[in-house]
Amino acid sequence: SLSREDFQRIPELAINPLGDRIINAFFPEGEDQVNFRGFMRTLAHFRPIEDNEKSKDQNGPEPLNSRSNKLHFAFRLYDLDKDDKISRDELLQVLRMMVGVNISDEQLGSIADRTIQEADQDGDSAISFAEFVKVLEKVDVEQKMSIRFLH
Amino acid sequence: KEEDNGSQQNRASRRKSYQRKNRDGKKAREEGSQKKDRGKTAHTKDQKESENKEKKTTKRGKEGENKQKKDRKNSSSSASSNSSDEESLSEEELAMLKEQVEQKKKLISTMRNKPWRMVKKLSVLREAQDFVEKFEGALGKGKGKKLYAYKMMMAKKWVKFKRDFENFKTQCIPWEMKIKEVESHFGSSVASYFIFLRWMYGVNLVLFGLIFGLVIIPEVLMGMPYGSMPRKTVPRAEQATAMDFSVLWDFEGYIKYSALFYGYYNNQRTIGWLKYRLPMAYFMVGISVFGYSLMVVIRSMARNANESTADGDDDNFIFSWKMFTSWDYLIGNPETADNKFASITTSFKESIVDEQESNKDENIHLRRFLRVLANVLIICCLCGSGYLIYFVVKRSQTFSKMQNVGWYERNEVEIVMSLLGMFCPPLFETIAALENYHPRIGLKWQLGRIFALFLGNLYTFLLALMDDVNEKLAEEDVVKNITHWTLLGHHNLSAGNDSTVTPPPLDPADVPRGPCWETTVGIEFVRLTVSDILVTYITILVGDFVRACFVRFVNYCWCWDLEAGFPSYAEFDISGNVLGLIFNQGMIWMGSFYAPGLVGINVLRLLTSMYFQCWAVMSSNVPHERVFKASKSNNFYMGLLLLILFLSLLPVAYTIMSLPPSFDCGPFSGKKRMYDVIQETIELDFPLFVAKIFSYVANPGLIIPAILLMVLAIYYLNAVSEAYQRANAELKKKMQLQREEEKNKRNNKASTNPMLQDLEDLLTPSTKTESIPKQAEDKKIESPNGTSPVRKPGRGEFLDGSPAASGRGAAFTPPRQVFVTQPRTLDVRAPYPGQPRPWGHPLGPVPGRGRGQPCY
Repeated sequence: SLSREDFQRIPELAINPLGDRIINAFFPEGEDQVNFRGFMRTLAHFRPIEDNEKSKDQNGPEPLNSRSNKLHFAFRLYDLDKDDKISRDELLQVLRMMVGVNISDEQLGSIADRTIQEADQDGDSAISFAEFVKVLEKVDVEQKMSIRFLH
Repeated sequence: KEEDNGSQQNRASRRKSYQRKNRDGKKAREEGSQKKDRGKTAHTKDQKESENKEKKTTKRGKEGENKQKKDRKNSSSSASSNSSDEESLSEEELAMLKEQVEQKKKLISTMRNKPWRMVKKLSVLREAQDFVEKFEGALGKGKGKKLYAYKMMMAKKWVKFKRDFENFKTQCIPWEMKIKEVESHFGSSVASYFIFLRWMYGVNLVLFGLIFGLVIIPEVLMGMPYGSMPRKTVPRAEQATAMDFSVLWDFEGYIKYSALFYGYYNNQRTIGWLKYRLPMAYFMVGISVFGYSLMVVIRSMARNANESTADGDDDNFIFSWKMFTSWDYLIGNPETADNKFASITTSFKESIVDEQESNKDENIHLRRFLRVLANVLIICCLCGSGYLIYFVVKRSQTFSKMQNVGWYERNEVEIVMSLLGMFCPPLFETIAALENYHPRIGLKWQLGRIFALFLGNLYTFLLALMDDVNEKLAEEDVVKNITHWTLLGHHNLSAGNDSTVTPPPLDPADVPRGPCWETTVGIEFVRLTVSDILVTYITILVGDFVRACFVRFVNYCWCWDLEAGFPSYAEFDISGNVLGLIFNQGMIWMGSFYAPGLVGINVLRLLTSMYFQCWAVMSSNVPHERVFKASKSNNFYMGLLLLILFLSLLPVAYTIMSLPPSFDCGPFSGKKRMYDVIQETIELDFPLFVAKIFSYVANPGLIIPAILLMVLAIYYLNAVSEAYQRANAELKKKMQLQREEEKNKRNNKASTNPMLQDLEDLLTPSTKTESIPKQAEDKKIESPNGTSPVRKPGRGEFLDGSPAASGRGAAFTPPRQVFVTQPRTLDVRAPYPGQPRPWGHPLGPVPGRGRGQPCY
C-alpha cells in the first residue's frame, strides 16, 4: 500500500499548489495508507468517457468517470470542510496557494468576492456544486480530466 | 497519424502480436467471415504479404497455426473468387467498403479515448489498421488500383512529412524559452517588445543575405582587388594614419576603402567569367530591400488583423476560470513551475486592471475636457520643440560660415537634440496622467507623441546631410578638372619623346580623388548607428544594472528605503525601447544603399541586443505597477514601422533620381543619373522589342489610368471590409446581450417575484432540488419563443435540456410536481419591474395575462 510520502515523490505533484489536497483525495477518511483498490478507485475518475455507454444503464449507479463525477472530484478539492459549498475563505486559501504573496490581501479578497459574484446564483455567497458545474459548463472537462493511454 | 504510425513503424510488433490477436478470436473470425462474405478481391500484393506474415509466425504455437489455416483458407477462397469478382465489384459494394474504411479510420483516431482494457484496445487497433491498409488500395478500380494505393500512400506520407516539418520549424524558432520566461514574469506587453525584436532580426537577416550574397560577395570575389584602382586604394596622404584605431573608429582609413561602402565598387558593366552585371545588381538589390521590407510589414499587418477578429467570446466567468483552471497539471520541472506561478500572478493582475478600467464611470464631460487640455498642452510642446530645432539648425548654418567657433557653437545642435530627447518624454507622461486612459491606450499615445518628437530629430539630421552633399557636389567639379589635367600631365611626362612607349601607370594612391559624396553619406549613417548602439547599451548598463546594484547594496546603509523610495528598481521602458528599435531600422533602410555593410552591423546588433536585454530585464527590472495585457494585434508597432519605411524611402529615392553620381567612385560612376543603368541594361542585354515595350509602358497615358484603377480598387475593398466589420460587431453585440439577459433573468428571479417565492417554499428545501426547478423554469421560459407557453416535453427531454446533470441519479419526484404546475408560473412571470427590456422578449403573449405586474 502507498503512503503520502510516496505520492510526494512525484515531481508534478510536489510542485503543484494543490498537490497536498490531491494526495488527500486518494486516502479515505482518516487513514494513512491506501491499497491498490482505493488507488484504482480514485484514478477511475480519470477514465475517458465513452459516448455509447450513456444509453446503457441509466437505472444503475452512475459510473465513476461521468462528467458529473469528475467535476465532483474537482469540487471536493476546493471544498475542504465538506459542506458542499465553496466559501469565500476556501477560495482565499486556494488563491494564496496559487499566487503567494505577490498580490496584496485586499486584492485577493476582491478576486474571491468577484469569483463568487460571477458564479453564485442563489445568493448564498458560496459556490454550490450546481453553480460550480455551471461555471465549468463551457470547459471541456471530459477531455482535460481524462488520461488517455495507447502505448 | 496513428494509422500511419501503425502501418510504418509497427510492422514488427504487429507480427509479434499476431498471436495476441487471436485471443479476441471471435472478432477476428468475424472479420474473416466478413471478408469472405463480401467476396473482396484481396490485392495480389496483399495476399503475398499476408502469406509472408503467416510464414513468419509459423513458430508461434497452435493458435497461430489455426489463424494461418484460416487465413490461407481466406486467401484461397478469395483467390478462387478473384477472377469472378473482379468484374462484379459493384457500386454498392464499393460504397459500403468505403464507409467501412472510414469507420475504421475514425475508430483508429478516437482509440485513445475509449475506456477499454489495454489488450482490447491494442487488438482492435491492429485489426483496424490492417483493414484500412488492405482495403484502401482496393478502392480504386481495375488498373487504377495500384495507382490509387500508391496515391493514398503518398498522401499519407506527405501529411506525415508536413507535420514533422511543422514540428521542426517550431523547434527552430529561436529564443522561445527566453521570451516565455520574460512573459511569465513581466507580462505580455513587455514580451511583445521582445517578439518584435525577434521579428526584426528575421527581417534584417534576410536583407543581409540579399545584400551580402548579391553585391558584396561578387565584388570581393570577382571584382578587382584592393589597391588596383584609385577608388579602392587609400590615398597617399592618408596612408600614414590609415591603420590608427581612432581613424578606424571614425570609419575612415582602410575601412572607408573597403567593400563596406559605396565607393569601393567598380563601375565595370560585367565582372568575372560569369559576366555578372554588378551595377545592375547593386541597383536592383537596393530597390528590392525596400520592396521586401514593405511586403513583409504589410503581410504581418494583414495577418495580425485577421487574428484580432477571432475574439474570445467567453468573458462571463473570467475570474472563476482563472481560479479553477489556470494550473497546468502536466508541469514537472521546478523552473517551469516558477514561471507558471509568476504568469498566474501576472494574469490575475492584468484582469484586475481590466476590471478597474471597465468599472470606471466618471463624469464624461470632465474627462473629455481634461483630455482636450492635455492634447493642447502636448501640441504646444511639440511645436515649441520643432521651432527650437529649426532655430538651432539655422544658427548652426550661420556658425559654420564664421571663423572661430567655440565648442558649444559647434555642437549646439546635438546638445539641444539630446536634451529634448531626455526631458520631453517624461514631460509627456506627466501630462498624460490627466487623460486617465487604460494603460494600453496610454502607451499608444505616448509612443505617438515621442515619435512626433523624434521626427524633428530626423529632419535636422537629413538637412545637415543634404548640405554636406551639396557641398561635395560643388567640390567635385573642381576635383574632376584637377584629376583630368594631372593624368594628362603624367602621361606627357612619362612618355617623354617616344610616344609609342606605353607610359607607366600612375600609382593609384597618387591619383587625386573626388570627394565621393555617397561614401560620406554611408559613413554618416554607419557612425550614427554605432553611436546609437553604444548609447543604448550604456544606458541599459548604467540606468538599469548599476542602479539596481546601487539600490540593492547601498540600501543597507542609507537613510531612506531605496527600494521603495526614490531610485528604486527600474521598470522596463517599453515605449522608449520600441521607438529606439523602429528609428534604428529607419536609419538602416536609409543607409543601406550607400553602405552595404550596414545591414550586417545591424544584424550583429540585434543579436547581441536580444541576449543583453533579456538578461538586463530579468536581473535588474521589476514588473510594472499596473501590468496590462498587450493588445492582441501588434499592428500599432507595425504601423509606425510602415511610416518610417516610407519616410526613409523618400530621401533615398530623391538622391537616386536627382543627384548625379560621383565621377570616380561607386558602381554608377560616369553616368548622368543612377537609374541610367536600367536603360543601359535594357538596351544592351535584352532583345530589341523589350526596349520598345518598356518605352510604351512608361507612357504617362498608360500609367495614370493604372493608378486611377488602383485607387478605385482600394476604395472598393475598404468599403467591403467596413461592411464586414460592422456585421461582425452587430453579431457580437447580439450574443453579448443574449448572455446578459440570461444572467439577469437568473439573478433577479429570486428577488422580484413573490408568487414564485411561495412556490419555491412549497418545494423540498434542499439546495439540489431548488436549483433544478430554477433551471427547469429557465428551460420553460426560453422554449416558448413563439411556441405556445404550455408545453410538456417528455421526461428525457427535460433531463437533457437542464444544464445541470447533477440530478441524474437522484430521486426525482419533486420535478414532476413542479412540472405540472410550471405552466401556471408562466402567467405570473410577466415582465419584471425595473428590468430593461431589449427587443421583443420571448414572453410576448404572456404580458397580457399579467397579474398586477406592470407591463412594459
